[in-house]
Amino acid sequence: MQTTKKQGAAAEKKPLLTNRQKSHLGDFACVLPALALLAVFTYYPICKLFQISLTDWNLLNDTWNFVGLKNWDWLFNGSGAKYLWNSLKVTFIYSMGELLVTIVGGMLFALLFNRMTRSFSFMRAIVFMPKYVAMSSAAVIFLWILNTDYGVLNYLLQFLNIGPVDWLNQKSTALPSVLMLTGWRVIGYGMMIYLSAMQGISKDYYEAAALDGASPVQSFFRITLPLLSPTTLFLLITTFLSSMKVFQSVDILTSGGPSRSTEVFVYLIYRYAMVDFRMDRAATAAVMFFLILLVVTVLTMKISNRTVTYDS
Amino acid sequence: MKKKTARISATLLAGTMICSLLAGCSGSTGGSTASSEAASSEAASSAASEEAPAAGEYEVTAPITIKWWHAMEDQYSGLVDEVVKGFNESQDLITVEAEYMGAYKDVNEALVAANAAGSGLPAVVVANTDYVAAYGESGLYEDLTPYIAATGYDVDDFADGLLVSAQYDGKQVALPFLHSTQVIYYNKTMADANNITVPTVITDMDAFLDEASKATGGVALSIPGWDQWYFETLYLNEGVKIITDDNTCDLDSDAALAVTQKLQDWCKSGKAMWCFGTDASANMRQSFYDGKTFAVMHTSSLYNNYVDKCDFEVGMAWYPASTTGSKNSEVGGCVVGIPSKNDQQTKNAAWAFLQYLAGKDVNMKWAEGTGYLPTRKSVLETDEGKAFLEEKPAFQCIFDNLDLVNPRIQNAAWSELATTWKNYMNEIMGEGADAVQSSKDMVVEINEILEDSAS
Repeated sequence: MQTTKKQGAAAEKKPLLTNRQKSHLGDFACVLPALALLAVFTYYPICKLFQISLTDWNLLNDTWNFVGLKNWDWLFNGSGAKYLWNSLKVTFIYSMGELLVTIVGGMLFALLFNRMTRSFSFMRAIVFMPKYVAMSSAAVIFLWILNTDYGVLNYLLQFLNIGPVDWLNQKSTALPSVLMLTGWRVIGYGMMIYLSAMQGISKDYYEAAALDGASPVQSFFRITLPLLSPTTLFLLITTFLSSMKVFQSVDILTSGGPSRSTEVFVYLIYRYAMVDFRMDRAATAAVMFFLILLVVTVLTMKISNRTVTYDS
Repeated sequence: MKKKTARISATLLAGTMICSLLAGCSGSTGGSTASSEAASSEAASSAASEEAPAAGEYEVTAPITIKWWHAMEDQYSGLVDEVVKGFNESQDLITVEAEYMGAYKDVNEALVAANAAGSGLPAVVVANTDYVAAYGESGLYEDLTPYIAATGYDVDDFADGLLVSAQYDGKQVALPFLHSTQVIYYNKTMADANNITVPTVITDMDAFLDEASKATGGVALSIPGWDQWYFETLYLNEGVKIITDDNTCDLDSDAALAVTQKLQDWCKSGKAMWCFGTDASANMRQSFYDGKTFAVMHTSSLYNNYVDKCDFEVGMAWYPASTTGSKNSEVGGCVVGIPSKNDQQTKNAAWAFLQYLAGKDVNMKWAEGTGYLPTRKSVLETDEGKAFLEEKPAFQCIFDNLDLVNPRIQNAAWSELATTWKNYMNEIMGEGADAVQSSKDMVVEINEILEDSAS
């Protein structure tokens, strides 16, 4: 009986939260503002987007009705399917092009400019400089460079007996033209990232390889390339994600044309929303796009865990 | 501890997501609370319009500053400033601030975004005639009918086609403002030297293309493919309705296919050029200025521009009549209206400015300074109107045919239809796609758009 009383008193004295729980609560208090911001500015719009994709909302109207999966049916089985696959294809080709320029071009430039002298430092700055130029300004300059009748590129090509090319208005050349602008802007960025990573590789590896009689090419493929794999992964993911979201250069240079040959996914979404006023369709395409990016990123991360060397 | 914290964080985050989803889904049948309020306000405004309130209700009683979004480029800024200044000085209560928003497309984007947000709306805004149906159908533009009735504003003086182009479903949702129509500009100096005349009937077009292409050594006629407005008239004049009474598209009818195939033949021969894509308008004009193209189909509003840039005499001709003898054209340019979500004080001030902007006194200023058409019938008979013709004699062809300038096709799905049409036409003309098959595929797609829009 006495024991029970003592136990009861002990229970009464027990604090509401243990020290560990208080510590957890403190942790939450710290992350709560960030969580709130994420919820409001990231997750809420995503949920809202999904909700809009189930409606018939025309951007001009204040009211809408739920239409179930009608927009999804239109996207996969209706006339939307043709444009969905077309823009996916265009976006994928564009992304591959940008990845190629950023990773392969960036690495080659990094190898070329990997000298810590003042003149090389100046040249690196020149190569990197386009990254600072606003895309809209750069695109307007490229409009002039690529002009069929009065452009600098065609002017130079005529000395090689190559006739005037209608760069931005032919299906076969429009996307490569957009990629020209992209390449001009991003190659310096890839170079700088690789250069900084190369500076972090210990010289010991190369000295040991040289002692073992490895050629510079062997050193590159056996030492540099594997030890740059985390950097390559970083560039792969960030460049892929940013390239999938390309819009401004396409909008200014080609407006998605000719005949939708440069209609990348974000431009497709823009067109549905702002040209056709079909916010419901734009939202459906945007949700689709979000899911694609999510899946691709998760897959990339999974694959990279098995192939990337983090030991430098 | 870390695992537990992570678990709780994830739960919290997921909970927030579910809450936000539920919150988002709460207005399952009619949008958000704000939407409902807007809808009620719309209904109230509609009810008010039925009651035809007295003029006093539209009077401005306190000082107010309002914004006017327009699409008049830098070259017209002096004229815009002059007109706005004239209005601001003509009364004490309203101050208008004009803002250039870019091309019609840019104005539309900014307007639609501001309308959806319900804030940052201008009091007065221009819109390409293309958008009137969509703005009218959605209620984005205020119905001006009660304002006109209450203030006794004279709209009968507007050219009929222009007035109708600012209406939707019988409601006057805007006023005619800067209007143009499709014309053919040609190199008159070259035409006189080579004894070439722009045909008045479409059946003479082949012979004309032969002669003109010989004269330039290249392109005889440039056809704008970047905007269907420039070529849709050719179809309409052949009896194609584009949108039939049963809400289907007839661009695959025999008459429509004949036009498409004829256009394709001209382009394939190299005598005509289909202009589309980046900088198409600028490139087409430059080629004309340089004397490389004999004639271009373009908007009459650019007359001043062509005359200023060409070192030869520029002629202006009406589109040739169709095989059926029809030679109608369609109105272009822009109307001016009031976004309905503005408060009543702003709308009243906007209405006062609108009357001035589209009024008789200012009408000729726009026509003289821009190259757009005078919108009021009465001004054509005035001394200013006669002086205008003396200064720009090429406009005689438009004045002679002013009654043939028709309003645009009004359908809420028009913008979507037009995008599809332009893309298919560019493939047919620019990429050599099969005209018949592409037209049939296009019509299937357009019918789906029309059906979807009607449901």
